[in-house]
Amino acid sequence: MRRAGGSGLGTAAAVVYAGAIYAFIFLPVVVLVLFSFQDGRFPVPPFRGFSLRWYEALIADRYLTAALVNSVIVALVSSAVAVTLGFLAAFGLARFRLPGAGLQKALIVAPLTVSYLIIGMGLLITFNAIGMPKSLFAAGIGHVVINMPLCFAIVFSQMGAHQANAERAARDLGAREWQVLLLITVPMMGPALFAAFFLSMTFSWDEFIISFLLTRFDVTLPVEIWSMLRSGLNPKTNAAGSLVFFISVALLLVLELAVFGRRRAR
Amino acid sequence: MATVRRRGGDGLRPWAFVVPALLWTVAFFCAPFVVMAAVSLWERVGTDLVASWSFVNYAKFFARPHFLEAMANSLEVTAIVTVLSILLAYPLAWILAERVPERWQRIALICAILPFWTSYVVRSYAWLLVLANNGVINQALTGIGLIDEPLSLANSRTATVIGFVHFFVMLLTLTIYANLKQLPKNYARAAADLGASRFATFVHVILPLTLPGIMVGAFLTFVLCIGDYITPQILGGNSDLVMPQLIMLQIGRRADFPTASALAILLMVVVTLVYIACARWLKLERA
Amino acid sequence: MMTTTMRKSLLAIGTSAIALVAAGPALAAGELNALVWCDHTDPELIRPFEEAHDVRVNLKEYEGTGTALSLVEQSRPGDWDVFVIDGIDVPRAIDAGILGELPEGTAPDTIFPEVALDELQVRDGKRYAVTEKFGYNTVSFNKADVDPAAMEDMTALWKDDTYKGQIAVYDYYLPVIGMVAMGLGKQTADLTEDDLPEIRETLFKLKDNAALVGEVVSSQTAIATGEVDILVGGGEWVTAGLSAENPDLDWILPEQGGVRWSQSIGVFADSERKDLAVEFVKYILSPEAQAKLATSSCYWAMPANAAAGDALTDQQKQALRWDDQPDYLKNAQLYPSPDAELDAKMQDLWAEFLQH
Repeated sequence: MRRAGGSGLGTAAAVVYAGAIYAFIFLPVVVLVLFSFQDGRFPVPPFRGFSLRWYEALIADRYLTAALVNSVIVALVSSAVAVTLGFLAAFGLARFRLPGAGLQKALIVAPLTVSYLIIGMGLLITFNAIGMPKSLFAAGIGHVVINMPLCFAIVFSQMGAHQANAERAARDLGAREWQVLLLITVPMMGPALFAAFFLSMTFSWDEFIISFLLTRFDVTLPVEIWSMLRSGLNPKTNAAGSLVFFISVALLLVLELAVFGRRRAR
Repeated sequence: MATVRRRGGDGLRPWAFVVPALLWTVAFFCAPFVVMAAVSLWERVGTDLVASWSFVNYAKFFARPHFLEAMANSLEVTAIVTVLSILLAYPLAWILAERVPERWQRIALICAILPFWTSYVVRSYAWLLVLANNGVINQALTGIGLIDEPLSLANSRTATVIGFVHFFVMLLTLTIYANLKQLPKNYARAAADLGASRFATFVHVILPLTLPGIMVGAFLTFVLCIGDYITPQILGGNSDLVMPQLIMLQIGRRADFPTASALAILLMVVVTLVYIACARWLKLERA
Repeated sequence: MMTTTMRKSLLAIGTSAIALVAAGPALAAGELNALVWCDHTDPELIRPFEEAHDVRVNLKEYEGTGTALSLVEQSRPGDWDVFVIDGIDVPRAIDAGILGELPEGTAPDTIFPEVALDELQVRDGKRYAVTEKFGYNTVSFNKADVDPAAMEDMTALWKDDTYKGQIAVYDYYLPVIGMVAMGLGKQTADLTEDDLPEIRETLFKLKDNAALVGEVVSSQTAIATGEVDILVGGGEWVTAGLSAENPDLDWILPEQGGVRWSQSIGVFADSERKDLAVEFVKYILSPEAQAKLATSSCYWAMPANAAAGDALTDQQKQALRWDDQPDYLKNAQLYPSPDAELDAKMQDLWAEFLQH
């Protein structure tokens, strides 16, 4: 039920305000997508006509497709590692009384308060010092550093008494620790783990500075787009951005439908 | 729930769960930090790094006005962005939580997030196109005759702030919305029953209750904004440099890692001070 | 139920990730790693070489020798094969042991003699690099908004606020400091620390008039989109490629002259694929590749090999001002080439300039 007391004027003001903010939020994306179809070299008005040539150029660009694959790999692998480590730590800290638990928690979430630039730079200097070359692998390590605290925090916040009881019941029935973890806790924590994984993927997918500092040729998509920006002004960059947008939105819709569908069915 | 204490005999087993995460953090977060702190005490002389163990790089920061200015710029931009984003986001979050029918709220939120699924580098670039002299905004304003000369929006601090606010309005709307939704409805009703006006209810009941949420969002904004390189680099026109730009200049153009490390540590000190100031609102709570 | 689904999907993700990782290195038969300016990243230029030699050319682009040396420092020996570097910085790279010797006959005989720079690139009879492309850092402008005659005098840019807000400055300290020095009547080759205060003062005046300071693409974007009307440090490398879209974009060598830049190409001393690297150098210096390099998507400029003239169209030669080169070359000076100490001072000055 809607709450009483919303005057007509108030509603109008609310609609106008929300509309203005939404317009602000959507403006750059609309412009980006529109001028990705620009038939000409300059992605600014006037719009000279509709063309798909920049998308063709994009698909022909093997550096870009390679970067796309790299981004997917890093996002999947680093998120899987981050969720695993974060989940185990959350389980350990939520279920057992360990000395210095507060300190351990603080240590694990500490990277959240530090800028990506500083984390990336620290890793760069350290890897240089031990002679480890720049690579996608190095960037992946960095992505785990930034995402693990987040995964830990999400999973830890969802560890409740409910699961603990189920775990205890399983143990009483003779299940081993790994069986409890894999067959009871993981499934019960499913939504939280999924959320953590999904969020990690998003951050890894979009992360720039760590990948920029730590990769050389096997760059990720944001780094490749950055160098595209620096190698010529044309709507190809628009096309790349739009394509990323379309893929992400499609992915989001699929997930949304899948999650929604399951929720309804329940 | 309370920590479940199991019967004795766990021994070292519980550690097996925590140790991987701790080791990772120590190896790839703490150790690099120590290395960086050590390097910040070195010195770049010509093309060589000299382990001089001095505070030369820190002294340089305080001795050079353009270094100090970068810190001032960083703090200024971040403060403006944080305040502006909260002011813009709060009403929207409130409208979404209170005025939009329940079943539309989810869709409204998804719509708010949607534009951020473009790549982050591309978003700043898109703003550059929007704000350019013959970009959409200026063409529209001259088109309807509001201005004669295009406004110089792109390549300035204004552009940087707009680019930042764009992202953080969304982030803060989500945080504040979540916070508003957690408030029990009957608090506001009780205040109304006691004769409080809607304004008084807001100021004395709703606002204080959502303050922790705002603080968490504000701190997040602060940390992400002050450490960001892309937005000021693409939109700022290379004037009024902020700390991340200054740090990247040291790394990118002269491999001066000692100076870059010192600057990074100074930036961290500032963030830590702000964290301590906000700490009482920022506890990690279990639901 | 959910467990099975979960396990299955995790398994699927894991398998596909492993498949992708495993597929990665199998893509190219051979590889060549080149550290270059952005004009070399045009696929039109690189693909013929890749196809002819069945290799993959990995390119990392940079702006400014400092950035390149910084990248080299962060690498391990053998990581890099080909190096494209400012001509003026070749001696620095030879001193640092970065560039290796090139075999006899790598340099074509048809390089414009004015830009050959053998005194910098040949040492003790051994050649370390070859000039591949050159141009000018002077003043680019939009004819529709700025009177070309007024641009004849470089000091017009900073002596008053006529052009306030209309100017962009190219973000590379050496050419712009060189230009300003020439505007002040100094020789770029003789700059010392004592010249810096006056240059600094002039730079700050210029900054007061400037709307932005940008790298290759952002400064190009600014003048192409009408953000600014004048680009300090610009030249044919900015306007030639854009003039087809906007014929009003032009450039000039003011009466005080301009700074000449040139790029040289060489091979890393510790390259593990020297033969292939030399082949690449030879390819880039060939007339066909020279023409493509001259008209590359990132920026256009004169090819160093005069033989490229045959591979360029008349319109392209017109845009590059092929026929005017003898006059231009006379009125241009090289980039300043400071020693390490002066270089650090200039970089600090530049950071101050950005912050001003």
